[in-house]
Amino acid sequence: MTPAVEIRRLTKTYGHKRALDRVDLRVEEGSIFGFLGPNGAGKTTTLRILTGLARPTKGTVRVLGHDVATADNAVRADIGFLPDVPGFYEWMTAEEFLRFAGGLFGIGRKVLDERTGVLLELAGLTDITTRIGGYSRGMKQRLGVAQALINAPSLLMLDEPTSALDPMGRKDVLDMLQSLRGRTTVFFSTHILADVERICDTVAILDHGRVVAQAPIDELKARYGAEKVVVEVGEGADELAAAIGAEPWAAKVERDTNDTIAVTVTDADAASRAIPAMVAARRLPLHRMEAGEMGLEEVFVQLVGGGQQ
Amino acid sequence: MSGFAAFVRKETTEILRTWRIWVLPGMLLMFAVTGPFLARYTPEIIGAVGGSQAAALLKAIPKPTYLDSYAQWAKNLTQIVLFAVIIIYGGLISSERKSGTAVLVLTKPVSRTAFVVAKALVHSLFLALAVVLGTLVTWGGTALVFGTAAGGPLWSSAMSWLAFGVLFISIMTLLSALLGSQAGAAGIGLGVFAIISVAGLWEPLTKYSPAGLANAPMVLAAGGESAILWPMVTSLVVSCVLVASAAWAFKTKEL
Repeated sequence: MTPAVEIRRLTKTYGHKRALDRVDLRVEEGSIFGFLGPNGAGKTTTLRILTGLARPTKGTVRVLGHDVATADNAVRADIGFLPDVPGFYEWMTAEEFLRFAGGLFGIGRKVLDERTGVLLELAGLTDITTRIGGYSRGMKQRLGVAQALINAPSLLMLDEPTSALDPMGRKDVLDMLQSLRGRTTVFFSTHILADVERICDTVAILDHGRVVAQAPIDELKARYGAEKVVVEVGEGADELAAAIGAEPWAAKVERDTNDTIAVTVTDADAASRAIPAMVAARRLPLHRMEAGEMGLEEVFVQLVGGGQQ
Repeated sequence: MSGFAAFVRKETTEILRTWRIWVLPGMLLMFAVTGPFLARYTPEIIGAVGGSQAAALLKAIPKPTYLDSYAQWAKNLTQIVLFAVIIIYGGLISSERKSGTAVLVLTKPVSRTAFVVAKALVHSLFLALAVVLGTLVTWGGTALVFGTAAGGPLWSSAMSWLAFGVLFISIMTLLSALLGSQAGAAGIGLGVFAIISVAGLWEPLTKYSPAGLANAPMVLAAGGESAILWPMVTSLVVSCVLVASAAWAFKTKEL
């Protein structure tokens, strides 16, 4: 199956600054793909290249099977795009803008009438007749999502679609994106981990212009979750935690309110051999010892470094 | 093609629904309405406020004719309206880049060439309509005030200026595709106007190049002769080349 997006060794430089550094990415058709990264990681640059607004310095970028360097109107007709700060003609109303956007795609009047109504409702702008110039940022963002869907795209690309929204608006947009699963490929960049965790099936993490991880979200959590060990003892948890903390393979030791110790380890093998021996040497009752699951946030922080967020 | 048509519709509606509908047509109509009256009554006004010395001076000046009204119109077009065109259209392309609207349009099935050509075309037609309307009003006003108003000098003058105005819309299209700053593009546009005006003093250029249109409207409006066929043809050809260059320049830009 042709991937919806395929990026190979993409490099983008601005003068001496390398915004993207040999990025490889593959977005399968029908997936909801979260493109995570701290501010300045290169997410917007990647999206600008994918939409033909900027050109790669090196590497190849294919969208819906076409090279973006030679992509024409036919490719753009199958794409929906929302930039991070969408710019609208402020003298238009939301309905006028959606009709204008539909007109650019050559959508017939009957279909356009229908879609405009549905999308205005989806964006919560049905009864708003004022001009876009008077809209709040959240209203503009919702209109931005609506206009990106006017052509029922095969590939929907969104740059930080929820960043300007209040909790209800965020939920509405995420629900809407989730409802597209299987029908439209959704590729969206964000730095909000909870959004990715909630609706994405695959995630890529970008840091300093490089993809540091790309995998289905469950696989990614399991992969990094194996680096965490949870130990529960009947008594003496404080002393055991202190002893574990002194070991070279223990990166971080956290104590729960009961007798549970969560250890982030750098060498899972060494930890799984040493911890039972340490429990036995202290004659402590071992209730549980298992690989813990890391949240996406922990995976993210581990991969890109906590100091950046 | 549907994208081009939709964008042309947008550009036209934008003229009708924003400040654009008031500025150029408003300026032209104001000059058109007041021009014939000013041409006819300026000597009387000067005489009334200038005292006996001015009255003696005015006796030596011939009585105003309808050609003075036309000259007034041509002077306003060449000296004020052209400057307004240069300043207004300094941001024709760059303002859409700055506001982010170009991004939403150009990620849809509209090529950058269509984007640039649609803008140059719509605004050239808009200028043509405004100039034709203003010239009609000047013509009618002149006939009303002077009792006679031959059409030839006025229309040949206005049409030669229109070709010059369209040339400047094309120049500003290119400059606004190249530069991000409206003020910067307008500054260079005024510089280009100064160069063309100076070039218009050299006869070979006046005969065949758009420089011939710099002074032609004034000469024609005064009832004089000026061979404008070649300058008009070359001006339209250069306009097309400038718009094509603007499309190429815009294509090479990253948004």
